[in-house]
Amino acid sequence: MDTNFIAAILNSAIRSTTPIMMAALGSAICNRVGVFNVALEGQMLIGAFSAIAINWFTGSIALSVIGGILIGGMIGLLVGYLQVRFKAADMVVGTSINLFVGALSAILLFILFGVRGSFKNPALLSLPAIQIPILKDLPFISVLLRNFTAMDYFAYLIAIGMYIYLFKTIWGYHTLSVGVKIEAAESMGLHAQRTQIMAVMVSGLLCGFGGVTLSMGQVTLFTENMTAGRGFIGMAACNLGRSNPLLIILASLFFGFCDASASIAQNTIPSQLTQSIPYISTIIALIFFSRERMKKIKNSKAA
Amino acid sequence: MIKQYNIKSLAVRFAQIFTQPLIAILIGLTIGAAVILIAGENPLNTYIKMFEGAFFSPFYFMQTLTRAVPVTVCSIAIIMAWRAGYINLGVEGQMITGSFVGTIVSIYSPLPTALTVMIAVACGLAAGALLAVFAAFINDKFNVSIVISTLMMNYVASYITSYFITFPLRDTSNDLAIQTKEIPDVMRLPRLIEGNTLNFGFIITVVLVALFVFINYKSNFGYESKMTGLNPVFAQYGGVKRRKVMYMSMALSGALAATAGMLEVFGVKYRFAEAMFTSTGYAWTGLMSGLISSLHPVGAFVTSVFLSGLQVGGQSVQRTINIPLQVATLIQATITLFVSIRLLAHFRAHRKSKIPKGNIKGKGAGDA
Repeated sequence: MDTNFIAAILNSAIRSTTPIMMAALGSAICNRVGVFNVALEGQMLIGAFSAIAINWFTGSIALSVIGGILIGGMIGLLVGYLQVRFKAADMVVGTSINLFVGALSAILLFILFGVRGSFKNPALLSLPAIQIPILKDLPFISVLLRNFTAMDYFAYLIAIGMYIYLFKTIWGYHTLSVGVKIEAAESMGLHAQRTQIMAVMVSGLLCGFGGVTLSMGQVTLFTENMTAGRGFIGMAACNLGRSNPLLIILASLFFGFCDASASIAQNTIPSQLTQSIPYISTIIALIFFSRERMKKIKNSKAA
Repeated sequence: MIKQYNIKSLAVRFAQIFTQPLIAILIGLTIGAAVILIAGENPLNTYIKMFEGAFFSPFYFMQTLTRAVPVTVCSIAIIMAWRAGYINLGVEGQMITGSFVGTIVSIYSPLPTALTVMIAVACGLAAGALLAVFAAFINDKFNVSIVISTLMMNYVASYITSYFITFPLRDTSNDLAIQTKEIPDVMRLPRLIEGNTLNFGFIITVVLVALFVFINYKSNFGYESKMTGLNPVFAQYGGVKRRKVMYMSMALSGALAATAGMLEVFGVKYRFAEAMFTSTGYAWTGLMSGLISSLHPVGAFVTSVFLSGLQVGGQSVQRTINIPLQVATLIQATITLFVSIRLLAHFRAHRKSKIPKGNIKGKGAGDA
C-alpha cells in the first residue's frame, strides 16, 4: 500500500480524535470528583454552534474559539450547579440538557441564519492549519500532519496537563480526594461542592473546545445534532482509559480511527453501513477491554 | 393506604404531586416565550395558535392522541427499565428495529394472513427485546454501561435499517421516498373515526398502560423491580434476584419499544420509512414524559398527551407563523429539567442521601 495513503488515513484519524478526546477528558474530570456527567453531548453541541454563530457575526477566529469554549463552559456550570447544589438526578439533567441544546441550536439556526438543518457559507472562516518548518518538507510526515490546526496539537497538551495536575500536584490530590470520599475531603477543609461544580464546568470548557474543532476543523459548517453521539463515545473512551488522561489519549485515538475509517470506507461500501462503524466499534471496544475480561486474561496467565 | 388519609392530607398530597410539574410547565412556557420573542413573533399569539392546533379542535385533538400512542408506549418502555434502575436510552433503536422486522415480515411472509400477523408481531417484539437484552447481557458480563451501549445502538439500528430500505427492500415504485412497500390492507389497525388517523392503537395503548399499572403495582415482579431500583443491595439482601430483574425489565422495555414502533406502522404509516422515528423524536418525548411524571405510568400517559399536543401544535405553528417546530422540544426539555430539580423539595428539606448511580431521585409516586 502507498505510504501516502496510510499517512492520509492516520491524518484523518488524528483529526477526528480531537473532539472525542476532549469529551473523554471532560468525562474523566467529572468522574474523578464523583459526578456522573451525561450532558457532554449537549456541551459539545453548543460549543460547535456558538463557534459558527460568532464566526459569522464577528469574522474573528479567536473570538469564535474563545466564545465556543466559554459557552460550553457555561452549560457545564449549569449542569454542575443543578447536579451538585440542587442534587438533581444526573441522568435526568444530562438527557434534558442534551435535548434542550439540540432544540435550542436548531431554533437559533433558523432565527439567526434563516435555514433549517444545516448552515454552510464560504464566508465562514476555518481554523488555520499550522505549518511546522522542518517537518512540512519530510515525505511521510508532511502528509500525516497536513492541515492540523493549533487545536489538534493543543488537545494533547491539555491531556498531559490534566495528568500532571491530577497526579503530580497538591491541588490535583485535593481534587481527587473529593471523588474518593467527599466527607473526608470536607473535613480537611476543602470546598467539596465547589470543587465538583468547577470540575463539571471544566468538562464544559473541554467539550466546548471539542465542539469548536468539530464545526471549524475538518469542515466549517454546523448541522443539527452534528455531534452525533460523540459525547457518549467520549464517555466510552474515558471508560476504556480508566479516567486516566494519558490512557484516554490512546482510547480516543482508537475511536478517532474508527470515525475516520467510516468516511474512508464510504467509497467502497454503502455509506449507511460505514456510518454505523464508530458506534459498533464503541460497543465492541467496551466489551473487549472491559475490566472483567482483562481480569480474566490476567488470571489465566497467572495460572 | 389511602384510606388512612383524611381529605386534608389527601389535598396536601395532591398539591405535592402536582405543584412541581405545574411550576416546571410555567417555567418551560416562559423560556419558550423568550425564544419566540427573540424570533420576532408574539409569544401569546403563538401559544394560542399552538394550543388551538393541538387541543381545541376535534380534528387536531385526534391528531394529538394519534401521536400520543407511540409516545406513551415509549414512555412506559422507559419507565419499565428505569424504575428498576436500568436506564434504557435505546428505546429509539429498539423501536426502529422492532417495527422494521415486524413490517418486513408482514410484507414478505408467504403464510396466511392470521398467521403472518402473529408471526410479524412476535418477531418485532422479539427483535426489540433482544436488542435491549443484549445491552443487559454485556452489562452483566462485561460491566458495559447500559446508557452508552443502548445509545450507540440507536445509531446502529437507524443506519442499518436505512441501508436495507435504501437498497434491497426498497419500494421501487417511488423514486423520491426511501421506504418499504405498504403492508397488506387486512393487517392495518382499524381507524376509530372515519377521516382521522386515530386508530385502534389508542385502545391498545390504554390497555397497555392498565396492564403496566397492574404488573408494577400488584405483581411480585413489579415489587422486586421497584425495590431493585430504590436500593439494589438491599433488594438483593431481601432475596431479589437482581440479574433476573435486570433481564426481565430490559426485555419488557425493549418489547414495549418495539410495540410503540409497530403501532405507528400498523396504525398510521402502513410502511417503514427512512427516519420515521428519528425525525419525530417519539422515544425522546416519551423519555421526557416519563421523567416529568416521576415514572408513574398513568401520569406518563397524561403527560404524553400533553407533550404530543405541544409537538402537534408546534407543527401547525411552524406552518403558519414560521417558528421552528423545535420550540416544542425546547419547552419539553425545560420542563423536564425543572421537574428534576424538585425546587420545592429542595427548599422544604435539605435531604442529604446518597443515591445509587443512575437512579432518579424520589422516584415512584409513592413517596411524593
